[in-house]
This record gives sequence, structure tokens and C-alpha cells, in this order.
Amino acid sequence: MSSVFRAIWDNTYGLLVDDGQLAIGAILALALTWVIAHSGTDVLSENAGWVLLALVLALVLANLYRAGRNARRRAG
Amino acid sequence: MDLATVAIAATPSFLASAVEFVEATTIVLAVGITRGWRAPLVGTALATLTLALIVATLGVALVTVVPEHLLLGIVGTLLLLFGLRWLRKAVLRFAGIVAVHDEEEIYRREVAELRAQGLRRNRWDWIGMIVAYKAVLLEGTEVAFIVIAFGAKGVGAMNAAILGAIAAGIIVIALASALRAPLTAVPENWMKFGVGAMLSSFGIFWFGEGVGAAWPGDAASIPVILGSFLLASWIAVRMLGGLLPQGARVEARNV
Repeated sequence: MSSVFRAIWDNTYGLLVDDGQLAIGAILALALTWVIAHSGTDVLSENAGWVLLALVLALVLANLYRAGRNARRRAG
Repeated sequence: MDLATVAIAATPSFLASAVEFVEATTIVLAVGITRGWRAPLVGTALATLTLALIVATLGVALVTVVPEHLLLGIVGTLLLLFGLRWLRKAVLRFAGIVAVHDEEEIYRREVAELRAQGLRRNRWDWIGMIVAYKAVLLEGTEVAFIVIAFGAKGVGAMNAAILGAIAAGIIVIALASALRAPLTAVPENWMKFGVGAMLSSFGIFWFGEGVGAAWPGDAASIPVILGSFLLASWIAVRMLGGLLPQGARVEARNV
């Protein structure tokens, strides 16, 4: 039975996470957006969506840059 | 059901489903051609039934039980995580860092493995059925996830997302049946890239709505968000091209 739950967990995890750092970064960006939307000023709350977009785009570029550097190192 | 709802729910559902159906069809085709069609078709039907149950139970539970703002937050989070995963992999494939999905190679490998396992003509082919069931279920889980996510906005959206997935399934199965070969001509990486950008954009839009952010023009902001993802991806491919030596192809899966 535990192997079934393990397989379900592995599939669910694999469905959402390809790179752990990107997934954690995205969750942190979402959490920060939630905080901004709920505790910031009106201007910040209304623009929380754009803040999230900027955070995620920066995260994607940084993550891919790291991936490229790792690949270059592996290529020797 | 208005046209925007149909387009928003059906288009990503159709494209993502087409990609996943192509991958599942390659395996089912390999099983059918090497071991006969009865067992893989039963396996495929059982997997489709399992997926329909997943969509029906989880989809209905999400739409009816979870409050709308929380639902937007949950669906937005899941779509963003799922979309970023596809987008990242597609960009790395465009840059030559991760190997491109090769249906022909997967088909050949699967046929060789299935032939090696042998077949007793007088017995029910459990191997063929299980291989087909697992392939369709595994690829179909992603389809189910997308259908549930895009259908979470209501009954109309759910119907549109389901119709998009079914249409993709019919087209892919019809093409594979006619050709009796893996669909290698389908531009899988471009489709995954497009779907990844779309899912990420909807994820951001719906999470923003869920936390009460104001989007200028409401859904009219989605093309702007999508455009930002496409621009960032183009910058990323150029950046990776500059980082790696000209023409280098590093087939490293874990980068």
C-alpha cells in the first residue's frame, strides 16, 4: 500500500516540480504577493499582480541562467 | 457560455492534451503493433475511465466546495508551478541543453522492450494492457490537471476544457490510426513552450485575482502577461546561446 501512495506522491510532485529551486522560488513569490496584497498600501495592493509577474520573470531568467552555467561547466 | 470563456478554457486544454496524447499514442501504438490490439485498447479504455473519474470527483469538489477567491488562489498557484515547469524545459530544449523529445526513438525503444518480453498467443496479454494503461494514465494525469484547473471557473469553463481535451484526443488518435506510426511531425516543443507560457500567464492572472489585485481591463491583461513571458523566454534562449559554445549540444537532463 505504501508503494501506491509513494507512486501517487512521486507523480503529483513530478507534475508540478521539475526544478526544486524554481518551484520554491515561485511559491515564495506567491507568498510575497499575498503579503503585499493584504498588508501594503492601496497602490501596492492593486498592483500586486504586476509585482508577482515581475518576480516570476526575474526568477525564470535567474533559474535558466544558473541552468546554462551548470550545463557549460558539465560540458567542460 | 461566452466566446471568451470557451477560448480561455478550451485552447490551452486542446494544445496541452494534444501534446500528451501524442506521447501516450506512441506507447499504445508500439504495444498494439508488437503484441496485438485487444489488450492495449482495454488498457487505454480503463485509463480513460480512471481519468474521467478523477476529473469528475476533483473537478466537482473544487467548483462546489471551495470559495471562489480561495479557488482562484489554489488554481493560480498550481497553474503557475505546472506552466513554469513546461516553459523551463522547452527553453532548455530550444537552447540545446536538454534533449528534444524524440517520438521515433521512444517508439523504437518501446517496441524492442515489448518484443524482448515475448508473447503467449493463448493467454490474455496483461503486459500489453498494463503498459498501455500506465502510459495513458501517466500522460492523461497532466491533461486531467489542466482540464480541472481551467474548468474550475464554472460549469461552462469545465465543459469547454473537457471538449478541448476530447477534440485533441480524437484528432491525435485519428492521425495515428491513419498513419500507424508515431506522430513525429507534431512540433511538440513549440506546443509545450506555448502551453507553458499560457499556463504561467493564467496562473499569475488568477492568483492576482484571488488576492484582490486589480488587473487593468480585467482579462485584457492576459495578452500583456503572456507577451512578457514570451519576451523573457526569447531573452533566456539568447542568453543561454551566449553562455554555451556555438553549436554545443549538452544532453544533460539535470541542470
